[in-house]
Amino acid sequence: MSVLVLLAHLWRRHGLALVWLATANGLFEWAITRVVPDPSQTGFVRQILQMAPAPVRVFVNQEIFANLTTQGFLGFGYVHPFLLLLLAVWAVRVAADALAGEVGRGTIDLIGSRPVARASQVTAAAIALLAGLTLIAGGAWVGTAVGLRSRPLEGVTAVDLAPVAAMALLLFAVFAAIALLVSAAKRESGAAVSWCAAIVAGSYVVDYLARVWSTIGFLRPLSLFRYYEPQRILREGGIATMDVAVLATVGVVALVTAFAVFARRDL
Amino acid sequence: MPPSAPAITADGLAKRFGDVRALEDLSLRVERGEVFGFLGPNGAGKTTTIRVLLGLLAPSAGRATVLGHAVRLGGAAWRGEIGYLPGEVAFWTHLTGRQTLDFLARLSQRKPMDRDALLERLGLGTEVLARPVRTYSDGMRQKLGLVQALQCRPALALLDEPTKGLDPLVQQAFYGIVAELRERGATVFVSSHVLSEVQRLCDRVAMLRAGRLVFAGDVEQVRRTQRRRVSATFKTPVDAQALAHFGALVEAGEREVTLLVTQEELPALVARLGMLPLADLVVEPPSLEEAFLEYYR
Repeated sequence: MSVLVLLAHLWRRHGLALVWLATANGLFEWAITRVVPDPSQTGFVRQILQMAPAPVRVFVNQEIFANLTTQGFLGFGYVHPFLLLLLAVWAVRVAADALAGEVGRGTIDLIGSRPVARASQVTAAAIALLAGLTLIAGGAWVGTAVGLRSRPLEGVTAVDLAPVAAMALLLFAVFAAIALLVSAAKRESGAAVSWCAAIVAGSYVVDYLARVWSTIGFLRPLSLFRYYEPQRILREGGIATMDVAVLATVGVVALVTAFAVFARRDL
Repeated sequence: MPPSAPAITADGLAKRFGDVRALEDLSLRVERGEVFGFLGPNGAGKTTTIRVLLGLLAPSAGRATVLGHAVRLGGAAWRGEIGYLPGEVAFWTHLTGRQTLDFLARLSQRKPMDRDALLERLGLGTEVLARPVRTYSDGMRQKLGLVQALQCRPALALLDEPTKGLDPLVQQAFYGIVAELRERGATVFVSSHVLSEVQRLCDRVAMLRAGRLVFAGDVEQVRRTQRRRVSATFKTPVDAQALAHFGALVEAGEREVTLLVTQEELPALVARLGMLPLADLVVEPPSLEEAFLEYYR
């Protein structure tokens, strides 16, 4: 009962932002389908690159060659910082506001003095986060689907992109669980936002640097972005079970810890 | 609530924040239907006590019950019968007053049966309730805080500085509301540093100083145990030191003497003064303020 009341409260606070984020992601992915080169164009680019001198071909590594396809370009739309940023905004904003924000504002006294279990507050926040991320990631996929319907591309359908959107949802659900844990432990929304933003950005930077700089390549598994590779999913036609397992494990551990921390802390 | 259970009990309650001892060995009992005043200067531990009783803070030691239920961190069910006004009441600024009251009533899982009457008595009109809370003055927020605390007819009202920011007319309305709560059998726990308010509202009072309970008893008992201020004026000069053994000499002139005297010493002093060339005698009853200051000196 109180979970539903709290969910309605969160919707009133963040609903408009959610509509904007989902719409923006949908439009972005739709736009990607308008500019993505068709198979004949990607083949031309590959031929040009293959004629390049050997040092240039080494510099442009095998992974980039492999992604010079229509699917690869569509997958690029799902690793683009714009989409990642909008998903991160929702995960961090709602998680930080739902717990640390209430504590920081002092409004936690009004909720906490009523017959509302602390677990209900974390549950409501977790549901809101997951529902919002589903809408934002779903919005992106709908954008792709609408775009491919108006501009069909040979060898790729919207269904191929569904696992990619699902993995984007899973990745940011894990970040949301981590953000909820940070929020459960903090006293101010601002501090929670700073920590969460640092975790997401740090993870992204570690993954990027570890890919381009072999010396620190061993660090890559420490980044959650390592387990989210849309272009590989499109190339190989499926999600790697290990990626799902790692992300799900981290997410569940973070969420359970968030429940435990919030239940035991002073408000 | 079990019919014989006190509204509140605390037994050796303590709360530390790191090295800071906010509350030390607090034991008290508040009976059902009582209006109980909780007095103390800022930082004495009043708000900490209330937040421990609500399960918002975990006590470092001791235990407490509220409405017969053992208080534990985050415990939920029994809080449906509680109305709480925080000392620094904060709201969601994007909500209107009415949305705020609706949301909090739904969380209380009780009907807001007294809302309309409270709104009328505290002067919060429909037009005000339709506005976002961010446009409210401090006084309006305090009124909204009172309404949200009392709208669902709580069995126990925990009110932390309830008249802060209210104008005198609204304060009078609030006193009337507390009187009605008392008649209805509700327990009211009022934390305040406004002594006249506690004197007027409460049956019993507890005083906190630096986290420790320094007094708990009837308001009348506080007054009785405090020294009266006795000012005597004489027709001819007298030896003031000859009166000093009756109490504490505050002022001593040739013809005027002022003493602080306990109730027990008063008859003897008056008898002694009757033997002197007395021109005038004023005995001032102790105010709670004086009692308060004496405890905190």
